[in-house]
Amino acid sequence: MEEDVGVTSGIRAMPVSMIVKKPSFQSAVINLKEKFNWLIHVLFLRQEYDECSRIIDETLHESKGRSEYALYAKALILRVKGNIHESLELFKKCHMLNPTYIDYLKQFGRSLYLLGRHKAAVEVFDECLNIDQNDWETYLFKGLSYKYMRIYDQAIKCFRKANEIHPNDQTYLELGKLFAAQQDYKSAVEVYLEGLEYSPENPELLTTIGLVYIRLGENFQAFQFLGNSLTLDPKNPKSILAAGSIIQDKSDHDAALLKYRIAAVYNPDSAELWNNIGMCFFGKQKYVAAIACLKRALYLDPFQWIASFNLGLVYLNTDQYASAFHYFQSAISLKADFSNSYMYLAITLNKLGDFDNSCAAFKKAIELDSNDCTVFLNFAIVLYNNGYTQKAKEIFSEAEKIFQTLEEDDREPEMMDQRELLMEALGVAQ
Amino acid sequence: MSLRTQACSERPCSRQCRSVGARACTCDQFKLTTLYNLNINKEMDPFFLAVSRFNRQRYDDCITICTQMLEKNPYDQAAWLLKCRALTKKSWIDDLEIDEEGVADILMDENAINNAPRPGTSFSRPLTSAQPGGISQVMRPMSNAGRPITGYQRPGTNRPVTSSTSRANLSTALQGQRPGTTRPVTSGGRMLRLGTASMQQQGGQFIMADKLNAKNVAKKKHIAKAVVDYLIYVESNFRRALDIASEATLLQGYNDWWWKARIGKCQFKMGLIKDAEKQFLSSLKNQDMVSLHLELAKVAVRQDQPQKAIEVFNTGLKTHAFETHLITGIARVHDMLNDPAKAITFYKKILVFDNSNIESIAQLASYHFYTDQPEVALRFYRRLVQCGVNSPELWNNMGLCCFYASQYDMALGCFDRALTMADDIAAADVWYNVGHVGIGIGDLGLAYQAFKIAVSHNPNHAESFNNLGVLELRRGNIEQAKNNYIQSSKIANYLFEPCFNAALLMLKKGEFQESYSMANQAVQIYPDHADSKELLKNLNQHFSVM
Repeated sequence: MEEDVGVTSGIRAMPVSMIVKKPSFQSAVINLKEKFNWLIHVLFLRQEYDECSRIIDETLHESKGRSEYALYAKALILRVKGNIHESLELFKKCHMLNPTYIDYLKQFGRSLYLLGRHKAAVEVFDECLNIDQNDWETYLFKGLSYKYMRIYDQAIKCFRKANEIHPNDQTYLELGKLFAAQQDYKSAVEVYLEGLEYSPENPELLTTIGLVYIRLGENFQAFQFLGNSLTLDPKNPKSILAAGSIIQDKSDHDAALLKYRIAAVYNPDSAELWNNIGMCFFGKQKYVAAIACLKRALYLDPFQWIASFNLGLVYLNTDQYASAFHYFQSAISLKADFSNSYMYLAITLNKLGDFDNSCAAFKKAIELDSNDCTVFLNFAIVLYNNGYTQKAKEIFSEAEKIFQTLEEDDREPEMMDQRELLMEALGVAQ
Repeated sequence: MSLRTQACSERPCSRQCRSVGARACTCDQFKLTTLYNLNINKEMDPFFLAVSRFNRQRYDDCITICTQMLEKNPYDQAAWLLKCRALTKKSWIDDLEIDEEGVADILMDENAINNAPRPGTSFSRPLTSAQPGGISQVMRPMSNAGRPITGYQRPGTNRPVTSSTSRANLSTALQGQRPGTTRPVTSGGRMLRLGTASMQQQGGQFIMADKLNAKNVAKKKHIAKAVVDYLIYVESNFRRALDIASEATLLQGYNDWWWKARIGKCQFKMGLIKDAEKQFLSSLKNQDMVSLHLELAKVAVRQDQPQKAIEVFNTGLKTHAFETHLITGIARVHDMLNDPAKAITFYKKILVFDNSNIESIAQLASYHFYTDQPEVALRFYRRLVQCGVNSPELWNNMGLCCFYASQYDMALGCFDRALTMADDIAAADVWYNVGHVGIGIGDLGLAYQAFKIAVSHNPNHAESFNNLGVLELRRGNIEQAKNNYIQSSKIANYLFEPCFNAALLMLKKGEFQESYSMANQAVQIYPDHADSKELLKNLNQHFSVM
């Protein structure tokens, strides 16, 4: 009688699915193999992996390695600890013991995928689909494998299929990333926004949308999403940095610095962060601090061309033309297709008294981006200052053409001043 | 010092006799001046000559003369004593400066008083970048012992971080550019050269240490002192030396600081740290000597009690206020705790008393360099040049300072000069820095070539391999980049950069297993690296998705 009570209370504590699965608890064989499954499950969920492994080993010893669930749990633990090779073998064993159960096969495929054997993984996932056509996870992982094999159209197909069956944040993120990788930012934003409908409070999704909007140049939109992301996850250094840069663009340097201060605690070694801080100081016209910060950025990441470019700008502003020249030059050799680098290099060269090379640099800048008003304007100014009035007029008319197409927002006050001065000097009517 | 004067004054009479004899020769003939000179040489008192050689630090000559004298008269005490002194002086080592634990000692280190010290109170748990005042591993690179690079290389700067968790770091002792020299293997430490350790007891022994009667020797005051020094510095036979010293201090009624200091030294060398400390303290009561304070601080350091060591130095400074050795000691302790900002105040203080102290200047220079003030660092390095230091390392550092201060023309000149006098190991470092200059001015071709040359000079130059990997990746050669990273991380287990780079590359290729192990390695080396942690978090997400 007493024994009976013990058994029933034991059953009550077990997960419901287990009772349904193994109703004939009296059978000694099943008892041996499965009696600790509930304990393994609970320990695994509590992440008490050491204790869990111990129980699993005992179970496996008793059942001579034929307990499916124990093997499965062991494989999961091994994977969490980073031993994917071993976990792969165990999943294989599970699959051999029970070839119809889709989970084992799926995890087997996932392990292959984690090991970077993407072709084999795709084959396994195809096999999974033979068992169950409507498993969204299989599609997601298959898509991921395709992504790493760089077969993007197949990957997109898989992700879309997965979303049809069951929409999930991760699928949306991966799909968006794929579009972003192919520089198709519009589609990426669409995908992300669609994902956001299903989970409006996913900070990662929000941050990613914000970053894509920045790339598209829509700062206002971007700031909204980044702000939302920051309210949900106020310590995410990526969002802080992005939000800070937008604030900085609006010339609110103190607020931006405040944001960066938060990020600096989490990642003091980030070159991008120091670059932005440096430019904040530049905006506040604290040139020494700006140079110190930018130099630190350059020390942390010497390949960062934009830090070099910024340093050049600061030196240009402090009338140290030789240093500015060096930094513009190194920025250009690290990234040769940025027209502004050439323009500033040209200005520096002119200040250094090398008019011929200055002109060459201006021409190169125009060649790279023939739609930038400032380049033409600066070229015209340099030409005029060197006495080539006629040539200056020609270039200035080019600048005017672009100027007319500019929107009101893009007409910076400094540019307007220079334009009017030059007009007067050249004697061109409004 | 007292010993030496004793030895000289023992035989003034015999010297006089012989010189009289020599004078007698002068009467012979005027012609024979040359012969007469020779005669003088022949007849010159060998002992006088030996003492003179000894004073001129020509110990080998002194020893040969004494040996000849002893062959003639084995009972010549003065000659024996002088030879003993000369032998000791010849292999004399300033053991206050170079105390370094051998590999075996560190492995078995049980002297530490506190097993779970708070950070900043133990050498095994120095400050990290997370704490205020700590050094960021990104800003200041690591030496192959896993310590921040210092401005001045001395034996202690290679001390590995020894704690129960990082015993593995011991393996660094036998690695690096010059395997086996980064850390002594035997417990004799730097006292014995590696090759000579086994040959110590063979052939031509001057004193048969085992046959000495400690009591009899101890009775002969001055001879006893010489013998004990000989046993310590030449034979490293601390047990016999201790026997004699304990007898002697007994005979002196426990009133002679010198004997107590020697007992302490022997006990320290034998690992009896606590007893040694007692002896030093009692000796200090007899006579307040600077060396005793230094010895006491050594005891505290061995017990892994940096705060106590600083206290010892401070008590010493009360009586010897201008003693730079004591101040240097404090500065070094702060340095070993990875607290350079504090150390630097003491290095500055040293310069007030001794304004050409090379160690202080070098430390100040490197501190300023790594805190973004290359111009200030350059001034200190220039001072070093004025002090007469002329090494490839110094010119290399000047070159780097010039580069970071945007004086490109000067920088390359400095590197040129460093290269002309550099050996292979130093040349590799110089070329590595030239590579950095190449990256800095955007000339990646120059950078690539410079790193290649660095690797050809020193196939174990891990930093160059890492940077080569980065450059290869920029060129799109993924496989070569990966190989370079892995090579680099294999050579140097103190660099987190190659591990992180490799992890990132593998992650992008989708090889999560390898990426995971590499990222783990990176975090182990540099626990506060935000990017590595982010990467690991990312990977864990991948692994734990069901």
